[in-house]
Amino acid sequence: MSRGAAIAAPRRGFVHALRELRRAFNTNITSWIGLGVFLAIVLFAVLAPVIAPFDPYEQHIIDRLKGPDATYWFGTDAFGRDILSRLLHGARYSLVIGSVATVSAMIIGSAIGIVSGYVGGRVDLAVMQVMDVLMSFPSLIMGLMIVAVLGPSMGNLIFAIALTAIAPFARIARAPTIVIKQRDFIEACRALGFSDLRIMVVHILPNVMAEILVLGTLWLATSIRVEASLSFIGLGLKPPIPSWGGMVREGFEVILDSAWLSIFPSLAILLIIFALNMLGDGLRDAVDPKLRGGE
Amino acid sequence: MTTAVKAGAASTSDTPGPILRVESLTTSFRSGGAWHPAVRDVSFDLARHETLALVGESGCGKSMTALSIMGLVPKPAGRIAGGHIWFEGEDLTQLDDEAMRRIRGDRISMIFQEPMTSLNPVLTVGFQVAEALFYHRGMSGREADRMALDLLEQVKIPSARRRFADYPHQFSGGMRQRVMIAIALACRPQVLLADEPTTALDVTIQAEVLALLAELKTAYGMSMVFITHNLGVVAAIADRVAVMYAGEIVEIATVRELFRRPTHPYTELLMRSIPRVDRNIAELETIQGQVPSISAMPPGCRFAPRCPLREPRCEAAPPPLAGRSGHHVRCVVRAGA
Amino acid sequence: MIRYVVKRLLFAIPTLLAVLTIVFVIVRIVPGDPAQTILGDQASQEALENLRRRLGVDKPIAVQYIDFMQGALLGNWGESMVTGRPVLTEVWAVLPHTVDLTVAAILLGALIGVPLGTWSALHRNAPIDYATRIVSLLGLSFPAFVSGILLLLAFAIELRWFPVISAGKLDNPVDRVRNLVLPAINLGIIMAAYVTRVTRSSMLEVLGEDYIRTARAKGVPNRAVVWRHSLRNALIPVVTVVGLYLGILIGNSVLTEIVFNRPGLGKLIVSALNQRDYTMLQGLMVVYAFLIVVVNLVTDLTYGFIDPRVKHG
Ligand SMILES: Nc1ncnc2c1ncn2[C@@H]1O[C@H](COP(=O)(O)OP(=O)(O)O)[C@@H](O)[C@H]1O
Ligand SMILES: [Mg+2]
Repeated sequence: MSRGAAIAAPRRGFVHALRELRRAFNTNITSWIGLGVFLAIVLFAVLAPVIAPFDPYEQHIIDRLKGPDATYWFGTDAFGRDILSRLLHGARYSLVIGSVATVSAMIIGSAIGIVSGYVGGRVDLAVMQVMDVLMSFPSLIMGLMIVAVLGPSMGNLIFAIALTAIAPFARIARAPTIVIKQRDFIEACRALGFSDLRIMVVHILPNVMAEILVLGTLWLATSIRVEASLSFIGLGLKPPIPSWGGMVREGFEVILDSAWLSIFPSLAILLIIFALNMLGDGLRDAVDPKLRGGE
Repeated sequence: MTTAVKAGAASTSDTPGPILRVESLTTSFRSGGAWHPAVRDVSFDLARHETLALVGESGCGKSMTALSIMGLVPKPAGRIAGGHIWFEGEDLTQLDDEAMRRIRGDRISMIFQEPMTSLNPVLTVGFQVAEALFYHRGMSGREADRMALDLLEQVKIPSARRRFADYPHQFSGGMRQRVMIAIALACRPQVLLADEPTTALDVTIQAEVLALLAELKTAYGMSMVFITHNLGVVAAIADRVAVMYAGEIVEIATVRELFRRPTHPYTELLMRSIPRVDRNIAELETIQGQVPSISAMPPGCRFAPRCPLREPRCEAAPPPLAGRSGHHVRCVVRAGA
Repeated sequence: MIRYVVKRLLFAIPTLLAVLTIVFVIVRIVPGDPAQTILGDQASQEALENLRRRLGVDKPIAVQYIDFMQGALLGNWGESMVTGRPVLTEVWAVLPHTVDLTVAAILLGALIGVPLGTWSALHRNAPIDYATRIVSLLGLSFPAFVSGILLLLAFAIELRWFPVISAGKLDNPVDRVRNLVLPAINLGIIMAAYVTRVTRSSMLEVLGEDYIRTARAKGVPNRAVVWRHSLRNALIPVVTVVGLYLGILIGNSVLTEIVFNRPGLGKLIVSALNQRDYTMLQGLMVVYAFLIVVVNLVTDLTYGFIDPRVKHG
């Protein structure tokens, strides 16, 4: 193999990764549906201030606890606030917390995994043992512990959720790194005097990208679920912020009389998680049938 | 042990004619919405007590031929698309699943190439040998176990009694292949299909397993189809040879005849690529080019693109398998000669 | 087998130490000053110092760590700041409820998931397989409180088949089961969804293995090929997932207990949160640390039973 050809290899890898992802879309209807629903929710969230019929905090005292009708499509809550408007605005919190937490975990986790796998030896062993222990914590329990001691705030929520998701990304980034590290073209790069950092970023990262993105989709679903669960427990964003989990919590208190209060946000949470799982599942099948999502 | 073996030899019936007759067998796989034959128009007879070797490069359809006989062509990707397989007066291609199941492992058995993966990792070796006896002989557990132990001794597993309840991962490749042989022989089959049984083994162990197979074949009075891609092995074990190329038999003859007068250009080239101790490896001739894929077969002779003797008429139409006194060749250039 | 069990038990010890260390980091180091966290910003200096002494956080961090680990390992998990009762006593009182729920959910999940996954695999790409895949994906998308609320609305509030509040006395077996049904279904369906998916994909993989072809070549009937030759091999990855899910189950049981107002570890945590019972919370985290290790241990031991390669290797 000529040296030039050897060094051209990883670029093919990146294109290949993208192509694989595209193939996933062309072959899997559920991926399409998942993506469509998810993008629709994102769009609603972005446009919330424009399309929401009411201000999410505005109280219509006369219209307290109204069932769904022509004015209030999804009904109103105990303060007479419009549920639909609160849902639309609440989507923003779910999406922001979920995606910031997931993306941070994705970046930190992959960096840890790639460096650990690349360096190898005892460092790798130790790092991976820490990751294993972290991973044995169920994300909800971990999130609950952290938010319980730190107090509920947007930053703490993001921190807690991100922390639980680092280990799976480290794991998934490390495995291919170890394989790629032994290939000829990496040797060639070293021989040409490329720095380790450059090798990792330019040559290894693109090769693990597809897997990381798939896991990211699945973890976005998990992050959103953990955020909603923590909010439901009472460890989420403080009222009157319309977080979906918090809305279910408020609605749950009056579930015997006004079920719609908890039903609509519950369905919203289910919908976004289901959409992301459909998307991630389809992508995963295409990228690697053996790749298992973490929790 | 010896008594059991004798009884087996005597039980083989002596009705005349071949025990197995494969007639224009075609087995196809579906790819890209169309069916492509992986085995095409394959015909051969297997006489009683005979060993017929199927030889050819990997991918030429040897395993599919054997699996077709077993009724184990992978579904739904593959199917037997035509031909007949006559066994003791029955056409196996016409039998339903249940009837075929009753024959498999009882009257026709098969040994596979990969001893490392062909045994079930979570079942004991003893059970795996005894199992066929439950289903085909209706034996009780104790009886079947006793018989299975006897079989393990016949295939020369050292301290078989102690190892009876061991799991496959506790055995070496060679020992696992012996276990596979014991499984295949459990019900004293009339026909044994051995699909490259030694390819995955170390050279020294290969010889042992080959010797064992030959010995048991005689002792049990079986007929055998022995699949290999190594012509060197053929001389040691077979009576007749069928050479396959790209799903077709291109030459069939007795071992003596074939080695004395290899006629098809492909057979010739195969002969020259047999590794020999007295030759330097570097001189070893390899055949140029590649086997065409089953979805892109040339219209005429399938070997033509790689053939040193190619003439324009070779590419016009598929040549017939022709010849006399048991030596048949699929080659228009050589057939007349 | 005994050697294997002993080995796993020994391996569990470092894991336990590591998990406890993480708990220590979370409860003592992450919050900075726990006393401040508990009392809030307006607390007086004196009150803060009192509380720090009581919590033992006035000592150097290394001493705190040793105290913490010692206490945790000796079962000395502190006492509630609110009731004054030891954490261990409180946990012991509700543990039967949690065990009931967990065991019922696992059974339900396995009894639904394994046959459904197998069935789906045997009908690969048939409409029934497709439906199973979508439904199971939907099933595992449910946060436990969402499915809980929907079940509660349908079966307790609308149909009135089951009590809305699943408390009930432990000594009345009929009550105990009646109260268990909905919460167990709630946890069980999510688990069944996971198990179905993994069983399906692992069954598909196993059905393509060489040893399955060997079994067919022996004339083993289809039924036995599936149940005896394939299933046990296919269950090996399923155990991994059940093990993983036990972790999720611990989390989901918290949500389930809230929705069905059922006593258990989860309810204990929530009331500790509401009452700002810091020592109780810390003790419960130690309890969860033990649970996590036990779950991992049980998973490992199950492998040994299913896969002969594990116990001999
Ligand atoms: N599962 C399958 N799906 C599609 N094609 C197959 C499958 N198995 C075998 N084939 C085709 O059949 C041909 C013959 O395969 P096989 O009989 O295994 O070859 P051999 O045993 O001679 O090495 C292969 O070249 C391949 O094209
Ligand atoms: Mg083969």
